[in-house]
Amino acid sequence: MADRQLTFEIFRYNPLKPEVAPYMQTYKLAETTGMTIFVALNMIREEQDPSLMFDFVCRAAICGSCAMVINGRPRLACKTLTNTLPAKIKLFPLPVFKLVGDLAVDTGTWFRYLSEKTESWVHTSKVPDPKVQEERMDNAVANQIYEAERCIECGCCIAGCATANIRDEFLGAAGINRVARFMVDPRDERSPGEYFEIVGSEEGAFGCMGLMACDDNCPMELPLQMQLAFVRRKMAAYGLGYKEKKRIKP
Amino acid sequence: MSNYQTHITDMLIVGAGLAGERIAVEAASQGLNVIILSLVPPRRSHSTAAQGGMQASLGNCAMGEGDSTDVHFADTVKGSDWGCEQDVARAFVENAPLAVREMAVWGVPWSRVVAGKRTLPDGRELEEKKEKEGLITARDFGGTAKWRTCYTADGTGHTLQYTMDSMVVQMGITVHDRTEAISLIHDGDKCIGVVARCLRTGDLRVYIAKSTVMCTGGYGRLYSASTNAVINEGNGMFVALNTGVVPLGNMEAVQFHPTGMVPVWILITEGARGDGGYLLDKNLYRFMPDYEPKKKELASRDVVSRRMTQHIRKGHGVDSPYGPHLWLDIRHLGANHINTNLREIANIAKNFAGVDPVKDLIPVRPTQHYSMGGVRTNKDGHAYGLKGLFACGEAACWDLHGFNRLGGNSLAETITAGRIIGKKVTEYTLGATLSYSYEQVNNAVKEQENRVKALVNGWNGKEDVYNLRNEMEKSLMDYVGIFRNGPDLQKAVDNLREVYHRSLNIGLKSGGEGPSPELAQALRLPGMIRLALCISYGALTRTESRGSHAREDYPKRDDANWLKRTLAYWPEGADLPELKYEPVTITELPPGDRGYGESSAQPEGGGKKNG
Amino acid sequence: MLQRVLTKSNKSDLYLDLIELASGLLLVGFLWTHMLFVSTILISPEMFNTLSEFLDTYYLSYFAIPFIVVVALLHFVIAGRRIPTRIQEQRIVWQHAKMLNHFDTWTWVFQAITGMAILVLAAIHVWLVVTGWPINAMNSADRMEAFWWFYLVLLFVGEYHAGFGIYRQFVKWGMFPRKPIGYVAKLITVVIIVLGLAAMVAFVRLGGGA
Repeated sequence: MADRQLTFEIFRYNPLKPEVAPYMQTYKLAETTGMTIFVALNMIREEQDPSLMFDFVCRAAICGSCAMVINGRPRLACKTLTNTLPAKIKLFPLPVFKLVGDLAVDTGTWFRYLSEKTESWVHTSKVPDPKVQEERMDNAVANQIYEAERCIECGCCIAGCATANIRDEFLGAAGINRVARFMVDPRDERSPGEYFEIVGSEEGAFGCMGLMACDDNCPMELPLQMQLAFVRRKMAAYGLGYKEKKRIKP
Repeated sequence: MSNYQTHITDMLIVGAGLAGERIAVEAASQGLNVIILSLVPPRRSHSTAAQGGMQASLGNCAMGEGDSTDVHFADTVKGSDWGCEQDVARAFVENAPLAVREMAVWGVPWSRVVAGKRTLPDGRELEEKKEKEGLITARDFGGTAKWRTCYTADGTGHTLQYTMDSMVVQMGITVHDRTEAISLIHDGDKCIGVVARCLRTGDLRVYIAKSTVMCTGGYGRLYSASTNAVINEGNGMFVALNTGVVPLGNMEAVQFHPTGMVPVWILITEGARGDGGYLLDKNLYRFMPDYEPKKKELASRDVVSRRMTQHIRKGHGVDSPYGPHLWLDIRHLGANHINTNLREIANIAKNFAGVDPVKDLIPVRPTQHYSMGGVRTNKDGHAYGLKGLFACGEAACWDLHGFNRLGGNSLAETITAGRIIGKKVTEYTLGATLSYSYEQVNNAVKEQENRVKALVNGWNGKEDVYNLRNEMEKSLMDYVGIFRNGPDLQKAVDNLREVYHRSLNIGLKSGGEGPSPELAQALRLPGMIRLALCISYGALTRTESRGSHAREDYPKRDDANWLKRTLAYWPEGADLPELKYEPVTITELPPGDRGYGESSAQPEGGGKKNG
Repeated sequence: MLQRVLTKSNKSDLYLDLIELASGLLLVGFLWTHMLFVSTILISPEMFNTLSEFLDTYYLSYFAIPFIVVVALLHFVIAGRRIPTRIQEQRIVWQHAKMLNHFDTWTWVFQAITGMAILVLAAIHVWLVVTGWPINAMNSADRMEAFWWFYLVLLFVGEYHAGFGIYRQFVKWGMFPRKPIGYVAKLITVVIIVLGLAAMVAFVRLGGGA
């Protein structure tokens, strides 16, 4: 494996130079053991083409910066080993997000807007008084919140979603999962009605067509199908007037 | 191109990691206008990579009983090898529990105490009390007397950063991501903002503010093998150093984390050892108890890293194409524990090394991890040398960590110092007025414009930025590592000086248009090499061993001559830093025995005493 | 923006989604029952005739056929709102499906296509049945002999649409992981198609023997 010659076909386009139409550029590289797309792209930039744009931050699959379309699938480039791919590797930037250049896309602006739209913070009337002992929480609940909070906002679920590709306002799995994170949090005092305002429409829970490319492409392996169905059922129950038992706030 | 956007605000924060955002929240809650600049979207900051947890002496879990701020204080000072500011450490330990509780209200899903009995991997039994159930729990970390590290599974940094950023979003604080501060605007007395480069368009911008706070994190990427994110290039530090009037403190204090995974150097959290993991050598022998009978794998990081290196040097390392390494063994913790509390690690091991820690050993070696040094500030976070300039977090030498930081104290520093310094910067900013001359700002921009033009057109030469960068990394890796000595350090200084001169003649290979990554690197590199020189020259000059600074030719701590902090200045036109020193503030705990490590009164590996 | 604000905050999206679900389930239920009824031919033509006479005598057919037609039209309109109408969007979806090469995305694309096809094919089928009233084994056999190719297409298209449709509804609403649901849906679909094929053969033989 180690002496394979890899051929990278990489999407090139600089939005600041619209006169140059998008094109695919080919680079050749000798494969090394344990090579990831992160290693390969940096080698290409340092040795062959210093103008090539792409994003990496943690290079350990925890920050979500480096998602791109690798041979058709949205994945994290940093944890994609070249030996799991054929010798010809095609790289595209993530769709849906605004292109910064070549493989770099602006996920930051998109996700900030998502946070604002879903009001992704704990809505509480309590003013923190750090001098008093913290409120108790069941460890199982804490784990449940963490399960949804593990999303790293890489955008793979959005890029893989047919609906998100054609409907600008659709929150996608990342957005609906985010709402689920706050729904299960007993510290958030929002009522089901308030959540309905956020996700009770085709922009949210009812916009999902169930194609599950999100579920299949999530690099964190979040249970997105379950989260999406959970929010959809909750919202339907509220919309049909089913009164939930008041949540117990510990 | 003399058109540039100008933004004026009350407080400018450079860096949107935990420290920066915590300060922003403090300032915004008191009505100040804040702009945060960040290389990347805030939630991609390196703070999110902190897996293990943050120390705060809540004392809720069974093994944390009897903990107090005093115990935390003593651990921190010993960990620092008496290099820290004790008034700072005191303020820190008192505030850490408050910071944790505040984060709990804001939304962090801290792991909680579950009542009942359980047995630890080493056979000890413990019982969590019913009356503590549901309170924030803690795990064991190196160099601590009690279990004190609060956590959310192994994504503590992630949940803290997401929660903090949710506050920033809620408060509507302006964040300009993909923006890099490339120089400070100052007149030698007062800082009034920065010249920044937009990483979307490549345009220069000016930010003017009553106060400027550097929260840009560490410089791990000066080393080729570092656990740090690729954005950790010490930007805030060299931008401050470049002023000539702001010193960096203790740059020679570089932390090596015992368990960087070979060969990708991704961090395996200390939590893996805290939860009961062992270090094994090539014979699968657990060697740490021989060296450190008391703390074993959980001595402070500098000590464990040195013991591992010693053991490898004795020929007990496992050979690999990437040099010898050791094994981390967490198999005995069980699949359930590994796949919940250490899940991210299990994923990292699987994805990047192809090993499943439930069944396999993880290859590890000490790897550059943290910079104790940074922009020297007073206890209010105010930088030495310039009014209106502050620093916080890893970018700063507030001096909580001295010569070695305890695991779990960095995450704790970000939000705790953010809380303390946030109040102080806010106070300063509320009392400050803003006045600046157009000419001063224009000159500052012109200077950067000229740098860019020179690089793009190759006016100063044709040196390749990536070659020089590799040479800088190599000098540090080869000569300024875990064990240091005079001749090696001299070599490092000589090499780096030469590389520094060459770095002034960089010319771009690409056109450098728009957000060119090559131009960004070329703008940074001379500053990065200056930092490398501060590290190696400071290390060469410090003829003692203290904390993470271990000199083979001066193996003892020397309190008589070296109980002091290095301050590195970079005068204009120099090719070496100018070193000054200042005394360390000692208020409570006079220098003494750390209780672990080479100079501690305990048997050395092999049984012989070592005073 | 004005119109968005004015039309926001009602439950229409929820109701549409529920109608899609209910009409879909109803149609799948109908289709599967229908196929089981048709399959009675495999037991004997008499059995088939008895059943259809029973439905006729009690006017069940007269009630059920228009009802199902209405539900099917409703389902077409409601579920059809998901289908991109602008050519640009259609191109994006097609391009996206090709790039991603993801099973569930492709099945959805064909779901939309089969949905359209069913509208036409089922209309022809209903017209054929109603104009050739009453339903009995010999009538059906004649029809099947003449139009077997038409019914072969309708069988596959209809069952495909029903099978993946019900799978997707379970995925969207369900509390179960989708992998097992997928297996069950596929299994039922295969069984129905086999029954349908067998029934077709039986009809064609019956028609040929007459």
